[in-house]
Amino acid sequence: MKSERKAQGFDVYEEQRQTGLRLEILRLLVLAVFVALGVRLWWLQVMNHEVFAGQAESNRMRVIPIPARRGTIYDRQGRELVTSRISFNIVVSRTDVANFAELTDLLTANLEIDRAWIEKRFEEAKYEPRWESIVVKEMASPAEVAWVRAHRYEHPEVRAEEAPQRLYLHGALAAHALGYVGEVSPGELRKGAFSKENGYKLGDIIGKFGIERTYNEILTGRDGARKVIVDSRGQIQSELERVDPVAGRDLYTTLDFDVQKAAEGQGDTMPQGRGAIVVEDPNNGEILALVSRPAFDPNVFSQRAKTPEGKTEIRELYEDPDKPLYNRVIQGQFPPGSTWKLMTSVAALNEGVITPTNSRIQDGGIQLGNYFMRSISNFGQPDIVTAIARSADGYYYRLGLKLGVERFEKWLKLFHFGERTGIDLPHESAGLLPTRAVKANIMSNTIKRQRAAQGAAWTARDDQLVERESKWTDYDMAASAFGQGYNALTPIQLLRYVGGLAVGGRMVTPHLLLRATAGLDREGKAHPETRYEETRAFSVPMGPAIEKIVKEGMWNAVNGAGTAGGTRVEGFDVCAKTGTAQVASTARVGAKNKDHAWIMSFAPRDKPELALVVLTENVGFGGTHSAPRAKAIYEDYYRRTRNLPAEAEADVAKKQ
Amino acid sequence: MLNIDRRYFADFDWTLLGLALMLAGFGVVMISSAQPPGLGPLWQKQIINIGIGLAIMAVTTLVDYRKILGSAHILYGLGLTLLVLVLTPLGRAVNGNRNWLDLGPFGFQPSEFAKIFTIMLLARYLAGVRQKPLDLQTTVRAGLIWVAPVVLVFLGNDTGSTLSFISFLVVLLFLAGVRWSWVAAAAAAAVLLLALAVPQIKSGKDYKTERIKAVYWPELAGKQYRYQNEQAEIAVGSGGIFGKGIHSGTQGALGFVPEVHTDFIFAVAAEETGFVGSIFALTCYLLMITRLLQIARQARDRSGLLLVTGIAALFFYHVMVSVGMVVRLLPIMGIPLPLMSYGGSSVMATFFALGLALNVRLRRFVN
Repeated sequence: MKSERKAQGFDVYEEQRQTGLRLEILRLLVLAVFVALGVRLWWLQVMNHEVFAGQAESNRMRVIPIPARRGTIYDRQGRELVTSRISFNIVVSRTDVANFAELTDLLTANLEIDRAWIEKRFEEAKYEPRWESIVVKEMASPAEVAWVRAHRYEHPEVRAEEAPQRLYLHGALAAHALGYVGEVSPGELRKGAFSKENGYKLGDIIGKFGIERTYNEILTGRDGARKVIVDSRGQIQSELERVDPVAGRDLYTTLDFDVQKAAEGQGDTMPQGRGAIVVEDPNNGEILALVSRPAFDPNVFSQRAKTPEGKTEIRELYEDPDKPLYNRVIQGQFPPGSTWKLMTSVAALNEGVITPTNSRIQDGGIQLGNYFMRSISNFGQPDIVTAIARSADGYYYRLGLKLGVERFEKWLKLFHFGERTGIDLPHESAGLLPTRAVKANIMSNTIKRQRAAQGAAWTARDDQLVERESKWTDYDMAASAFGQGYNALTPIQLLRYVGGLAVGGRMVTPHLLLRATAGLDREGKAHPETRYEETRAFSVPMGPAIEKIVKEGMWNAVNGAGTAGGTRVEGFDVCAKTGTAQVASTARVGAKNKDHAWIMSFAPRDKPELALVVLTENVGFGGTHSAPRAKAIYEDYYRRTRNLPAEAEADVAKKQ
Repeated sequence: MLNIDRRYFADFDWTLLGLALMLAGFGVVMISSAQPPGLGPLWQKQIINIGIGLAIMAVTTLVDYRKILGSAHILYGLGLTLLVLVLTPLGRAVNGNRNWLDLGPFGFQPSEFAKIFTIMLLARYLAGVRQKPLDLQTTVRAGLIWVAPVVLVFLGNDTGSTLSFISFLVVLLFLAGVRWSWVAAAAAAAVLLLALAVPQIKSGKDYKTERIKAVYWPELAGKQYRYQNEQAEIAVGSGGIFGKGIHSGTQGALGFVPEVHTDFIFAVAAEETGFVGSIFALTCYLLMITRLLQIARQARDRSGLLLVTGIAALFFYHVMVSVGMVVRLLPIMGIPLPLMSYGGSSVMATFFALGLALNVRLRRFVN
């Protein structure tokens, strides 16, 4: 046999040797691969076990927060303004969707959800973790919730989830004071009060505006949580632990629902639909009503933010040129106009520029260099009370010039104008003051902008130009003294000012917090009942004599032959000062660019209970347009606090 | 012909069968743990699969393997026919791979059997060639036998199976006696090809390159492609030394690891039985492969040698890829872990192959 094979040119031994060798090589290769697999297993299972064990745990354990109910917001008498209630969201767990087209058909047909909307929501959530469900409908009706529950076996991917929802009971009423809530944004999570470091997470509902924002910490309760085991699709398999949520603390605002309602009524009738009304108790700064027009319904943010209609509504609010989301009371900046004359008067009297009895200051137009500054009034040489009551412009030109810019600036500071009042609302503006520094700054910026627009280099001549243009002129002084200079103030600053004038110069901080009930905060720390703490009150030096002049002037403005006669309420001794703020650009004509009408007022004269400021934008004279609004608010208040029936009030009106 | 006598039982490789049954039993337990929702108790079905597999194996051992190899071309033809049928409307795509054949109540994957039929024909052909070392003509002819099923499998988009065909072709040619210089050249070509492919893979965007990147360049791979690797890795790693206990796993049972009862069955085993269980399974596989190579060496003729080596190569390849992808050493390819993964075709084809190997061993003595 052997020889036979050899004869075929085939060495059987050689072949066996080769085969043995090659099999051995294969065996070693196999062994090497198995050793590699074994080493890898050792590495994963023994060396790095802890890491992977942790990851496996966090994979299957999920802590699902149970949002705490936000505290209720009441008015000062305990009437509910903002509450929270349980509503239902329809959510879809994405990983369970077998057939997307079928699902959209189903949702469109049974839950009245727009097809394009569902597609958009899914598209938006593309990069979110798979297990996160998508909210396709908020505030589902009970019938819709029932439908979802009835179909939970055929369509386990569609669920109804509980979600506490903020409800602004009176819609737009006091919207700018109350504010609104919304989901914390990615930007807010990065830094600031609502950052991740402070314990906030995606999906948390926070106060975004108004009281909701300022007192977010008070209103936010302590979220509960469910520790559950989920599968890879996020379906809950079992619950391990449950911590119930604790509701947030309730908040009583200083707002008075009745006064607010009256003020809202007046806001509604503003001709341009733009303006501001704010009412306080001048003794303590408690704001009784705050109205800004145009207004908005905060419910759109808390209830409809995730619906197509809601998104459109919100976009429209942001794009509206009249800025409904803007709180004109604290963010709007307007020239104070003649309301400012009281400040000039107090300053001049204090500085001895004039005396109460004889002022020897002329009213009427005045020639300033080559410019004649006109005055609507000319009362000869009026006394100061008449000057206030009749709003004598020419008188104040001259008074300002006599006072001089140094003393003028000193008194601006004493009145804390151009500073934030510190009201407990976010986004307050500081305003702008007619001072030399401000003028220089404005001029220098204007010229720099011009040069930049021309592409020209800055030269030494430009420095001279800035210096020349920045010079404080007599015109500046005269204009500033009666409130038409480089000044822009917020209505809330004016309110603090008029409130201070009402109570002998003591200026308190306007605020909205009356008290918050005792309770736990988000971290579970207990807090006792909290009341507003006044920390910024100050007094403007004005003795009883000056106070008397101010009050007499303002009383005469209403009850004498003054400019604020439209505010008169029989028996209530209203004091007021009108103002007409010229709109910066007089070149533009038409209703939109008419003057802003101010009134600032308090009543009754001797024991003030209310102070208020009304600004009606672009309507003209303050006495005509804002005074009757103030009057209406006073009348409503007077009738209620003096227990007068509505008919009696009508009689009073008839007699007038 | 049917020589079932005392010698049959004495010469039967009970060790190999024992190892196979141990792994299959381990697999059944793991399948019960990895039970996906809504599919009936799969572990029971798997026991039936194993039973049928054992029957096929038993029948296979009865007839002399040389007789079986004599009709290898018929089986090969049958395999090709089935693979063609897969591409017709009778075929069905599962997970993007068109490799299923629907036959009324049954469905199976012809490629699992086609692999073994191809090994059989190749073994018969190469054993008949007395030219040493292997000449080019023989090599090309062997390649032609091989390439027909490969093309059909590839058309079904089943990359995992396509690659497994390479494993036994390479081993069979190597053992049939290609020149060492050719071996060296092939190795060099492979390395070169790999080097050239790397930049292509890195910049690739289709799911195959993404799967490769997910293992070797995870930072370049899409998140959704890394997910399966990461979850499998977590399953294995979280098992620790002794595992979480049978039916106490979370990664597999809660569905974080995909295809957990079939291709990823080893992830469940590693999670629930830990390092101890994993090494136990690996050792069983290693012993089986070594045993097969030993049977090959003892075969009475070259066709037996080549047949068993080819089977060993295919078996090894499946184990390597299936475990390798679970422990994140190899990219994810959809191929089952022999004996442990759920699936009738895989289990039956594996027992059929083992039957052939046992057959070779039973008839190892020349007499």
